[in-house]
Amino acid sequence: MDPEYATLTEVFHEVFDDDSIVVTPELTARDVPEWDSLSHIRLVVTVEKKFSLKFSAAEVGRLKNVGEFMSLIRSKTGR
Amino acid sequence: MTDSLARCLALNELTEGLLTTVDFSIGAEQMRQFAELSGDFNPLHTDDAFARGKGFEGGRRVRRLADRQGVAADWHAPARRESVWASISLDFRRPLYVGQAAQVEGTVSSVSQGTGMVELALRVRASGKLLAKGSAEVLVGR
Repeated sequence: MDPEYATLTEVFHEVFDDDSIVVTPELTARDVPEWDSLSHIRLVVTVEKKFSLKFSAAEVGRLKNVGEFMSLIRSKTGR
Repeated sequence: MTDSLARCLALNELTEGLLTTVDFSIGAEQMRQFAELSGDFNPLHTDDAFARGKGFEGGRRVRRLADRQGVAADWHAPARRESVWASISLDFRRPLYVGQAAQVEGTVSSVSQGTGMVELALRVRASGKLLAKGSAEVLVGR
């Protein structure tokens, strides 16, 4: 697995306490029952810490799926 | 920084290292209300004579500082009505007695501008002694 996706998968499993979640670029909040507004914030904050980066409110607000989230992460980490 | 100044700060003004202290005390009536709310009628918290008999010379002690969110509540005052506690964790070191004057010191340890989540390092002190330490997360409204 792509190392960034592996790390992101760890984050998803930790935040949603569900090791069965398969993180793909197409994954959205509709696919994960526990993915509500508060857990979304927890997810973003955990990603910020895990990847040592920060997002703006506008960046977070534009995200449509995990693929876009990963693109944003990579744009900030330079990978 | 003064407490009143902290109340005026918006999310984008909260920065890592920002520190403020808020004075508080917990009265007998608050302890009674807490006992009713939590169902914890342990006499260590509600009965002076019993608490003294167990070696707590100050009488009734307040154990669950964390359950009284007011210990740190003033920290999300910048937009209090729009803010939400996301987590709070405290390790207790010494008892706080009913009516005892204490202070909670909060230091901003991280700010996520993208989400509004603010992490705080908390220290609770009375008479210069550390009573509890821990952390909290507050989702600050924009």
